[in-house]
Amino acid sequence: MNSTKSLGEELSRVSLETAARENATYADFRLVNTISEVVSVINENPASEELNDLGAGMRVLYKGSGWGFADTDDVNPENIRETTRKAVALARGASKIGSKGSFVKEPVHVDDWISPKKKDPLAVSTDTKYGVLQDATGRMKEEGIVARRGQIFSTRIEKYFANSEGSKIFQDLTQTGASLIVAAKGPSGIQRRSIQQYVLGGYELLDDLDLPGQAPTLTKEALALTQAEGCPEGKSDVILSADQVGLQVHESCGHPIELDRVLGYEANFAGRSFLTPDQLGKMQYGSEHVSIVMDATVAHGHGLGTFAYDDEGVQAQRKYAVKNGKFVGYLMSRGTASHVGETRSNGCMRADTYKLPIIRMTNVSLEPGNWDYDELIEDTRDGVLMDTNYGWSIDQKRYNFQFNCEKGYRIKNGSLGEMIRGPGYSGITPEFWNACDAVGNQKSWVLWGTPNCGKGQPQQVMGTGHGAAPSRFRNIRIFGAS
Amino acid sequence: MSQSSTQKQTSLAQQGYRVFDLVRKFARGAQEIEATLTSTTGESLRFGNNELGQSQFTKSRTLSVRLASGKKQARTTTGRLDESFIQKAVEKTVAQLNTAPEDPDYLPMLGRQKYPTLNRYHERTVEESAETKAGHVGHAIDLARKNKLLASGILGTSFDEVFMLNTAGLEADYRGTGGYFSLTMDADNGNQTGFAMSTFADISELNPGEVSETALERARLNKAQSEIAPGKFDVVIDPNAWSEMLFFFIVSASTGFSPDFGVRQYREGRSYLSGRMGEKILGDNVTLVDDVYHPLQTGPAFDGEGYPKSKLTLVEDGLLKGLASSRISAHRYNGVNPTGHELPLPNPLGEAPTNLVVHGKGGTKTTDELVSELDKGLLLTRLWYIREVEPRTKTLTGMTRDGTFLVENGEIKRPVKNLRFNQSLLDLFKNIDGFTEPVRNTSFTGTAMLQPGILARDFNFTSVSPF
Repeated sequence: MNSTKSLGEELSRVSLETAARENATYADFRLVNTISEVVSVINENPASEELNDLGAGMRVLYKGSGWGFADTDDVNPENIRETTRKAVALARGASKIGSKGSFVKEPVHVDDWISPKKKDPLAVSTDTKYGVLQDATGRMKEEGIVARRGQIFSTRIEKYFANSEGSKIFQDLTQTGASLIVAAKGPSGIQRRSIQQYVLGGYELLDDLDLPGQAPTLTKEALALTQAEGCPEGKSDVILSADQVGLQVHESCGHPIELDRVLGYEANFAGRSFLTPDQLGKMQYGSEHVSIVMDATVAHGHGLGTFAYDDEGVQAQRKYAVKNGKFVGYLMSRGTASHVGETRSNGCMRADTYKLPIIRMTNVSLEPGNWDYDELIEDTRDGVLMDTNYGWSIDQKRYNFQFNCEKGYRIKNGSLGEMIRGPGYSGITPEFWNACDAVGNQKSWVLWGTPNCGKGQPQQVMGTGHGAAPSRFRNIRIFGAS
Repeated sequence: MSQSSTQKQTSLAQQGYRVFDLVRKFARGAQEIEATLTSTTGESLRFGNNELGQSQFTKSRTLSVRLASGKKQARTTTGRLDESFIQKAVEKTVAQLNTAPEDPDYLPMLGRQKYPTLNRYHERTVEESAETKAGHVGHAIDLARKNKLLASGILGTSFDEVFMLNTAGLEADYRGTGGYFSLTMDADNGNQTGFAMSTFADISELNPGEVSETALERARLNKAQSEIAPGKFDVVIDPNAWSEMLFFFIVSASTGFSPDFGVRQYREGRSYLSGRMGEKILGDNVTLVDDVYHPLQTGPAFDGEGYPKSKLTLVEDGLLKGLASSRISAHRYNGVNPTGHELPLPNPLGEAPTNLVVHGKGGTKTTDELVSELDKGLLLTRLWYIREVEPRTKTLTGMTRDGTFLVENGEIKRPVKNLRFNQSLLDLFKNIDGFTEPVRNTSFTGTAMLQPGILARDFNFTSVSPF
């Protein structure tokens, strides 16, 4: 048997029995073992680090109204007992102030799940990874290039979950990621080109990405950007690359549909949301071409938001957040679902390692439309194509956003024209999505991984997935970075 | 309950010697060995919607092992300190070491060093009971309820320890406490909102009532905002409002969020500052130092390889004057001395400042006094989601939140809707007419910053939010 699973079974018994003796209304226990490796090459300089992080988190509800949580990296039974008592003590204190809302039901699950992969990335030698990265960064060495950076990320997360209702779930997730960045200095300052992708899957990602094969093109483009014109200012039709649409979905849809922020629990840091419950089922969030799903199931793809069960034992599900433009659903937890009249959570509680689970995006994806990429360009008389994110910013209620991209092209009479540097666009979320009149089809749809979404206090980092295809938005405010 | 209950165990140094012996035992074939043990214990009471919803206790320790032979080196970090896991981690590092490429910058490990004494451990921060802290939170929630507002925020404390040893005889240790109380009071789905924050090393310094009253006062003022047209405004920025902006002064997105103020990046041309030494990059009245020894600063007196940190002037009277350096840079480049700003090795990124302090000339005013000097402009109490737009001018974009106020003739007249800015940080630093004393900030970046509130001219706002 897997050692994390057997240790989890042993320690969960200790924790749940302790919580029961302390009169907890509900308790859950997670043991999480994370092994991650980062291999980097910057210019010629190599670095690698492997991190193995094991710990347990215990969540306790006391008198139905006070939540307490404690975690520890000292996973012996005696300390687990003591840490569970800490969680109960905190829950007792919290129950004096109180918490509203009920804890909705979830069927009991007893299951093991191993995520799909072809090649275990942690079984691939560090030496092999150095070889790939040095090949890629070596091909980027040209006059005018000031920084070359390649990274390969390999992660395995084993987690055992058990709760006082009887659920016992073991999951073994493998994630792989890679990035390549090249920076050139020239007349317009420093310009960057990059690629990155992160998936629930194995080292086969590196075969698909072919970093060395992409390096010369990225280098050429970075150098060309230092000579390119800036982006015009004003209103224009805009076509966004698939990765940029993915980040637009993340920031302007994924975050405002997090029900904890809607209810005010994140008001001090992550913020609130313009998508208030009175808008549910009524608000025209986007045009009829815009349908956005929250989908953690494997059927959706191998994204960073794919799993079998969330971190409070709720099974992975697929639900619409936006259906044909109408706002219809939130990312929820068992403790928040009742606030919007739901009787079951849709399984969005996730934790950074063994920390406290909070509502996070799963795979929040724009469903593909009907347009071939070439048709999208050919159908655009006058516009700008923007490709690969450079910077992103959005207000705390997720209305006012501004994004900058690494490169762009003018579009004239259905053809791509000259390259432009640092194109940017801005807008107000519902106005922007209602200006969407074309979404690329399945052929150009990619499930992108966002590995570093920050939320919570103390802050946690989480990977999320965003399926997207190149899409067109009419009459958008555009500008240049420099 | 307090955090101390788990600290009355073996000290980190005692554990460190035991762990180092084990590392040596398993690191067969390695010529040099470095082990760094870190421990973080935290307790936080997080509340939202007038409920104490997320009370957390957290404890984690890590052992990071660096092995070297010849010019090869490798590092592995583990969160488990049992012998079998230490063995596994060290054997993995040995395997990596055998196949690692030679590091052209490798230098033999550093021997024993002397460090200035830093007293950053405050027992009361560790000992303060959860009940007392819950009382502070309860007071904020009561105050919010009485005023038909919702309180949300966090009262968090932490206790950090570091212990580093190597086979060349180096021993370095650090223990320090910290914490912060961050509070928002709002209503009407955040259409009415006020924010306040206080940070501390010793929880005795915390005045929770003052934090609550400030958030309340701002929330009372900040409702029924009117819209103003974007454009250039003179502004007063609260000292706790803009630490994220300063982060982008020392890190660039253009090179993949790598630090800029290091000798290696500068000399290799990777920094936006490359070639600008001696150039006037900020205003005459701005001096920027990296000073871990400042009484309000935090963190250890040594860097990622155990070298003692120096106080370093980065910008003096607006002129780019110095860069963070290390043994590697001193070895690579003539005339360069280490300043103690190396990151844990191997480090291909370059050096980075870790303890920024912004000094302004005449910096003895309060935020209220700066507001009183503003003929017409805006008071910004919090900035949010700041990102780099362009690296050379350090043009940044971001939003105001939780209280943006129109000031006329030195008095707050009315709240206005939130605004987006696109502003060169270098230009901002050239347009400052007044400073407060620098205060300690928390930052999402982990860089410890002391920065003042400022009165600055011509801050560039480009659009308006609907709230």
